[in-house]
Amino acid sequence: MTQYILRRILQAIPLLLIITFVLFILTNSMGDPLATLGGRQRIRAADRERLMRQFGLDQPLPVQYLYWLVGNDWTTIDKDGDGVGDEPGERKGVIRGDFGTSIVTRRPALDLITERLPNTLLLMLPAEVLIIFFSLVVGVYSALRQYSWVDNLLTSFSFIGYSMPVFWLALMMMYVFAVNFKAWGLPYFPTVGMFEPEAGKTIPQILWHLVLPVATLTIISVAGYSRYVRASMLEVINQDYIRTARAKGLPRRMVIYGHALKNASLPLVTIVGLDLPLLLAGAIVTESIFAWPGMGRLFIDHTERADIAVIMGIMVMISVAVVFFQIVTDLVYAYLDPRIHLA
Amino acid sequence: MFAKRPWWSIFVMVIVLFLASYGSAQLAPSAPEQAQTEVAAAITPTATEEAEPTAEATEEATAEAEVIVPDCADLPPAVATEATAEAEATAEATAEAAADSEGKVVRISFTQEPSSFNPHYTDQWFSWITTALWLERPWNFDENAQPCLVHLTEMPSIQNGGISEDGLTMTFKLKEGLTWSDGEPYTAEDWVFTWQMVMDEGNTVITRYPYDEFVEDVTAPDPLTVEVKLTKPFPAWQSVLFVKANGGAILPKHILEPVFEAEGTIDTAEWNRAPSVGIGPFVFKEFETGSHFSFTRNENYHGDIAKIDEVFFRILADDAAQNAALKAGDVDIGTFVSFADIPDLKENGINIMSASSGYNEGWFLNMRPDSAHPGMLDLNVRKALALGVNREQITEDLLFGLTKPNATFWNGSAWANPDLEPYPYDPEQAAALLDEAGWVDSNGDGTRDKDGEELVLRYVTTPRPVRKDTQAVVQQQLAEIGIGVELFNFEGDVFFAGYAEDGPVAVGDSDFAQWSNVYAFPDPNTDNWLCSQIPTDENPSGGNWFVCDEELDALFQQQSVEIDPQKRLELMYEIQQIMYDNVYYIGMWGDEDQWAVNPRLTGVKFSGVNPFFNANEWDIKE
Repeated sequence: MTQYILRRILQAIPLLLIITFVLFILTNSMGDPLATLGGRQRIRAADRERLMRQFGLDQPLPVQYLYWLVGNDWTTIDKDGDGVGDEPGERKGVIRGDFGTSIVTRRPALDLITERLPNTLLLMLPAEVLIIFFSLVVGVYSALRQYSWVDNLLTSFSFIGYSMPVFWLALMMMYVFAVNFKAWGLPYFPTVGMFEPEAGKTIPQILWHLVLPVATLTIISVAGYSRYVRASMLEVINQDYIRTARAKGLPRRMVIYGHALKNASLPLVTIVGLDLPLLLAGAIVTESIFAWPGMGRLFIDHTERADIAVIMGIMVMISVAVVFFQIVTDLVYAYLDPRIHLA
Repeated sequence: MFAKRPWWSIFVMVIVLFLASYGSAQLAPSAPEQAQTEVAAAITPTATEEAEPTAEATEEATAEAEVIVPDCADLPPAVATEATAEAEATAEATAEAAADSEGKVVRISFTQEPSSFNPHYTDQWFSWITTALWLERPWNFDENAQPCLVHLTEMPSIQNGGISEDGLTMTFKLKEGLTWSDGEPYTAEDWVFTWQMVMDEGNTVITRYPYDEFVEDVTAPDPLTVEVKLTKPFPAWQSVLFVKANGGAILPKHILEPVFEAEGTIDTAEWNRAPSVGIGPFVFKEFETGSHFSFTRNENYHGDIAKIDEVFFRILADDAAQNAALKAGDVDIGTFVSFADIPDLKENGINIMSASSGYNEGWFLNMRPDSAHPGMLDLNVRKALALGVNREQITEDLLFGLTKPNATFWNGSAWANPDLEPYPYDPEQAAALLDEAGWVDSNGDGTRDKDGEELVLRYVTTPRPVRKDTQAVVQQQLAEIGIGVELFNFEGDVFFAGYAEDGPVAVGDSDFAQWSNVYAFPDPNTDNWLCSQIPTDENPSGGNWFVCDEELDALFQQQSVEIDPQKRLELMYEIQQIMYDNVYYIGMWGDEDQWAVNPRLTGVKFSGVNPFFNANEWDIKE
């Protein structure tokens, strides 16, 4: 088992190198980082030349990738624009933990990311827990009472939920529970942000502000997930071993949770395994609408301005997380299904 | 499949991530409108009186040199409307009670977060407009874009000896006893330091203009005197020198010099992100990225102490969410309100105030012979473009009549040539001009052609909904006079990309491009149409993506060094006449800043140059 894990990790290294190279080429062809640096105005010619040099954007792409990966402190860079390198560089490269400097803010990209990560996890983890919980409840319940009126009702709701655009649901939640409830004199939720400036950043404030965005994320995802659970539950319930379990007099609870659900949860584990790394990426639309200071907005804000260091930082983090959670998923498989042997 | 082949899943994830991000970027701005129409009906409208004091450009741009520039503190307060007059009475009555109870917080929503608070590091509008609160400029511009003094005893002019006769030496006299918010003296040394930092190779400042072009030396003969040696006369100094139009300001030497000495750069200074020390009615409190930042009252302020306790900026990326927050009263001032949302906000009792910041939305015509459609080089075709589009109707229908078509690039400022009117909508005349020039539909395909070249033009802009709508209207109207139009939309980082980066406008993959732009407002200077700025492989950074006209070029260069305001005004009028007659620029509409203001706020004025210039006079009625 340990050997298996080690081998998977070693395999991941060349894989990640290829991914970062492809991503670097892609992000560099997205747009011109200096195009939007001038705010509402275009940047002046003399300043464009100077900044290209100062940011190292005048170098060929493979060189830029090399500097990004291993740093440039082993070579000299041109500081005064005479075309000759005169001072050693200061970048250490990603492999030594330096993700480069954001062109937009002139701050280390890693700082920008680590500032946002806790906020995103604060939003996404409760949402993911609720999603898994409710999709299990709804999926299992529907499967056990297939074609009952409850099942039909839940099926209709999940189709509505599944086909609802996130932005629409988010705005409707805001208009109904924040704007209109306030207008009607009912207890209301806040529209945007993590807390009210007058009240300060306290735990009750943050929980109160979490309700609408978490509810939005949950409703959208439960709709889809519960269908998976229902389908695989239905498949398992009709298997011979379930009938055997019932026949040997196991309590219903044990049959459902110990035998049926454990086997039916394999597809869910696959989906959740794919989903977990994306939790780090945040929820772009929901975060934008509810002004939640998370990773999704960081990604969008810096993508719009072609800020390579930050985009690459986020992508690398997600890539690493995808590889990691794939390994974890495979380990969970082995636990859930004893027929799978990892070697 | 996924579990056994992580390769697959990773690539699929990456692609999905890209698609998702692009998809949502497309969705986010356009989506709110649908939702809004849906919910608009559900909201009970409560109409109130609203005031709209528009900044009207005064006729006398010429008088600046002779007129004595007043101190900003002596300007009259904001004109109270009926609603606010009443409010002020209430406010005064409850003033004492309010002072005892919790603080007065004005909440402003920003759709972008500041990249950096150091105004020399970004030209981002959302960053530099905050400087009025905590890092004031030595002089300011009021709601009519007229200058007033903040840190100076008088405005340098030839008459008072502040500017030498040859225009090459300027002397600035500082008021006595000014201090930074931490009590350290604010002196001429700070000015010299600012200049040094802008010019230092170690700093990646956003622009060195105007210091690299005009300034030879900055010295401090004594703590209250700054002397600036210029390389050539600099009539535009008031808009850019030490108050760079986009927010340049004096930096605190005592804070930043130790950083510079230690690291050889101030790029990484903590002050850029958390400017604990400033000079202004407020002082920085905190900044949590992605969420908010705020400023509290500066009790050591040299002018009138601010009436409110805190200005709180909430970062709110979504327009529809901003509107909801405004209506719910969770936000007091909404920024960059789009024209489409104004009627709804007014119905909900939110005041709308507008201020001309010199910005105009318009078409920049590409007439570079190597890249433009041959029709663009034909004056008759360009006139037909101007005459063939009903811009009155576009402003009426798409912008709710809240703005008007502009005749020139300089509309909304004192430099606009008043004799010029926007070209009228006259499709018959447009068709006649095209016939006359030999552009006729010889092959019966619906578009005109000449010498085997179809008259199909490329119309490029960004994906903003109002621009896309305009494109659709224009395409239809020009089709009626036989001009074919191909539409293209690019996000800002591609649209404005330079020549070397294959930007569609820069390399000329466009015949006319639409965006909103400005000169060095309130100064009229621009290098948009200088021949030396035409981009080539040798000069890829050139910013003239349009036309090189020798006569126009000479006039632009003349006005940039003409220190007699009257003569300069005449030059500017002539420039506009030439650009109008030759149709080098077609104005679409005046793009004033639109502010949404909760009626509980009083005393608010907006300057088009530096919006929050009177923040110390703002107050809240409860």
